[in-house]
Amino acid sequence: MPEPIVEIKNLSVYFYTYAGVVKAIEDVSFDIYRGETLALVGETGCGKSVTSRAITKLIESPGKIVNGQVIYHRDDGSTVDLLKLSDEGIREIRGNEIAYIFQDPHSSLDPLYTVGYQIGEAMEVHGKVRNIKEGIAKAVNILREVLIPDPENRVKNYPHELSGGMKQRVVIGIGVANNPRLLIADEPTTALDVTVQAQILELLNELKRKYNATVLLITHNLGVVAETAQRVVVMYAGKVVEIGTVDQIFHNPLHPYTTALLRAVPNPLGKIEKLESIPGTVPNLITPPKGCRFHPRCPFAEERCRKEVPKLKEIEPGHFVACHRY
Amino acid sequence: MAEETGEYETREEYEMSILDRISDRLIDGFASFIGLFKKDWRRRNQSRIKEWKLMAYAVNRSPPTLLGLIIVIVYIFIGIFGPYLAPWPYDFFPVNYNYSTQLAPPGSTYFLNVTQLQNGYIIHYTTYIHYMLGSDTYGRDILSILLSGARTALVLDIFIILIGPTLGIILGLISGYYGGAVDETIMRITDMFLAFPGLILAIALSAVLPGRIQNFLNAHVWAQTFVLKLFALHPRDVNNLGKLLAVFVALVIVWWPGYARVTRGSTLTEKENLYVEAARAIGLPTRTILFRHILPNIIGPILVMITMDFGGIILTEAGLSFLGLGAVPPIPDWGNLINQGSQQFPQAWWLVAFPGLVIVTVVLGWNLLGDGLRDILDPRTRRSLEFKLKKKSKGGEASA
Ligand SMILES: Nc1ncnc2c1ncn2[C@@H]1O[C@H](COP(=O)(O)OP(=O)(O)OP(=O)(O)O)[C@@H](O)[C@H]1O
Ligand code: SF4
Ligand SMILES: [Mg+2]
Repeated sequence: MPEPIVEIKNLSVYFYTYAGVVKAIEDVSFDIYRGETLALVGETGCGKSVTSRAITKLIESPGKIVNGQVIYHRDDGSTVDLLKLSDEGIREIRGNEIAYIFQDPHSSLDPLYTVGYQIGEAMEVHGKVRNIKEGIAKAVNILREVLIPDPENRVKNYPHELSGGMKQRVVIGIGVANNPRLLIADEPTTALDVTVQAQILELLNELKRKYNATVLLITHNLGVVAETAQRVVVMYAGKVVEIGTVDQIFHNPLHPYTTALLRAVPNPLGKIEKLESIPGTVPNLITPPKGCRFHPRCPFAEERCRKEVPKLKEIEPGHFVACHRY
Repeated sequence: MAEETGEYETREEYEMSILDRISDRLIDGFASFIGLFKKDWRRRNQSRIKEWKLMAYAVNRSPPTLLGLIIVIVYIFIGIFGPYLAPWPYDFFPVNYNYSTQLAPPGSTYFLNVTQLQNGYIIHYTTYIHYMLGSDTYGRDILSILLSGARTALVLDIFIILIGPTLGIILGLISGYYGGAVDETIMRITDMFLAFPGLILAIALSAVLPGRIQNFLNAHVWAQTFVLKLFALHPRDVNNLGKLLAVFVALVIVWWPGYARVTRGSTLTEKENLYVEAARAIGLPTRTILFRHILPNIIGPILVMITMDFGGIILTEAGLSFLGLGAVPPIPDWGNLINQGSQQFPQAWWLVAFPGLVIVTVVLGWNLLGDGLRDILDPRTRRSLEFKLKKKSKGGEASA
C-alpha cells in the first residue's frame, strides 16, 4: 500500500475578478504518494497551475482558496493541514519541504542577483547555512549537481549571462537546494527548446532518484508523462476527471475527455494514428456548464450529464473516473 | 595563461581614457582605504569594485553626466564648507557702518568704520569690503550669502529626500504588493494629497506651521542646538527657525505622494514577474521580497526621480522663499535673495541674477546627473560597456 505524502481534499480556488467569480478549480481531490512522479495533465486553463500553487497557499489576491484541505504527511508520520498553517508556518514548508520549479526560467530568476546568491538565499532563509556567503560557497556544489559546467565561475554569473537551459538548471538547483521532500515542477521544459527539454527531464529524474524525492510534474506533453511518471491525474475545466497509473491512462482511458486528449496528441505508447482535435472549446469558468463540465463537447452526453455532477468512482484498483457512463 | 591575461590588461588600458584611469585610481584608493580597516575586504569584493569601475567608465563616456556630477559635487562641497568659506558672516550688516553699502553693485569696494562690542569693550576699527557680486539691502556680500545659503539648500534637500521619498516608497511597495483594501486605503489618502497642487499645499502649510514649530523649538533646547548646527546659524537666529522648518515640513508632506504613486505602479508590474512568485515559493518573508527583490528592481527610475528632485526641492523652496514663506533674513537663502531683488529689479539686477544663476546651475546639474544615472544604473548598459571594452582590446590584439 503506497503511503501518501500529500492528500488534496475537495480543494476549490476562486478568483474574484471584475468580470465575475472565476471558479478556477472546484472540488479537486487526489493523493500524491511518497517517492512517485505524479503527472498532472490537461488543456491550458484547466487549473493545473492553480492546483499546484494552492498546495502551499501560493494563491494571491484576487484569488482565494475557498474550500478544501491539503493534508501533508511529515517525515515523522505526523500530519498537518497546510491550508490551516499560519503565514509563518507555511513559509517554513515552502522551498524547504515542498519546492517549486516554474515554467519560465527567463523570469523565475531575479535579474539583479548572481545565481550563487539566489541559491544561497534559498538555503539561508531556511537556516541551512548561517549566511548567504556560506550559501554561495555551497551553491558551487549544487550547480555541479545540476550539471552546469565550470560551476566555480558560474556562481558569479547573473541570470542574463546564462542560456535558457542553464537558467532552468539553476532554477532546479534552487528547487533542490534544501533537499525537499516534494518537488512541484510546473511545465519545467515548456519554455526551452526541444533538445534541451530532454536533458532537463533527465536531470529532474536523476535528482529525484538521488534525493529520494516525490515529484508533481505538470505538463502538456504526454510523451513526457509516459517516460517519467508513474501515475497521472487528468484535469478538465477545474475538475479532476480521471486518475490512474500511466498504464491505465494510456491503455485503458475511461473518461471521454482523456480519450480525446490521447487522440489529439501523438500517443507515445500506441502506434501513430491520425490526430483528432477535440471539438468545441474550454468552457469559461465564470459560468461553467452545469452537471458534467465536459458535456457540451462530449459525444456520449445524455440528459443526466447536463444535470448531475459526476463523482469520482474507483473502477479498478487505483483507477478513478468522474463520468456517468461508469 | 598568466601571460595572456597580462597582455589582455595592457590592451584594455590602452583603450582607456585619462578619466578612466583617474576614476580607477580613485576607486582603488577607496578600496585600499576600506582594506585598511577590514582585512580581506578587497579580495572578497572584487566583483563589486569592478562594477564600480564600470559605472565610472559609463560616466566618463557621457559628458553631460560628467558635467552634472561635477556641479553636484561642487554643490555638496559648498553646502558643507560654504559657511566657513564665506568671506563675511551672513549676519554681518555693513549697512550699519556705511549706509552706502546698501545695494552696492558688483565689483565695488567700500570702507567701513566698524564699532563693535567685544569682551565688554567698545572697539572701533576701519576696514574695507569688496563686493565681487554686489550687496543686498543690508549691505551684505552676495557671494558670502550664496556660499552660506548653499548649506540651507543642501540640508533641506537631504532631509526632505531622506524622509519624503522613503515614506512614499514604503507605502507604494506595500500598496502595490498587497493590493485589495490596503491598496485602496493608501492610494485614496495619496490621492487626497495629490488633489492639491503641491505648491499650494506647501504654501498653506508653511503659513500655518511656523508658530507651532517655533513653540516646539523654544521648549526643546536640544532641538534648537541641532537645527542651528545643521544650518550653521548663530544662536541669535533661533527665533527665525520656525519659518524655515515650516517649509521643511511642508515640503516633506508634499513630496511623498508622488513616490507612493510611482512605486506602487512599478511594484504592480514587477510583482507579476515569476521571480517574485519564485521568491515566495522558496519561503522568503514578505519584507525580504519587498526590499531585497522588488525594490532593487524598480529603484532605477526612483533614483532618477530622487536625483532630479534634489533640484526640484531647491526650486520649490526658492519659489516659497520668493513668496515670502520660509527662510527670513538674515538666514542665508538663495530664494530669499531673489525675493529681495524682485523689489529692486532692474536697478539691483545682481540680486536676482546671481542667485538665479546659482539655482539654475545646481538644478541643471542634478537633472543632468539624473539623466545619466538612468543609463548607468541599468546593469545591462554596464555589461555592454564591459563587452565593448573587451571587444576593443581583442580587436587590437587581432590587428597587432
Ligand atoms: N490571477 C488570476 N485572475 C483571474 N483568473 C485566474 C488567475 N489565475 C488563474 N486564473 C484562472 O484560473 C484558471 C486556471 O488557470 P491555471 O493557470 O491553473 O491553468 P493551467 O492549467 O496551469 O494552464 P496552462 O497549461 O496554460 O499553464 C484559468 O481559467 C484562469 O483564467
Ligand atoms: S459524464 Fe456524461 S458528459 Fe461527462 S464525460 Fe461522462 S458521458 Fe460525457
Ligand atoms: Mg500553468
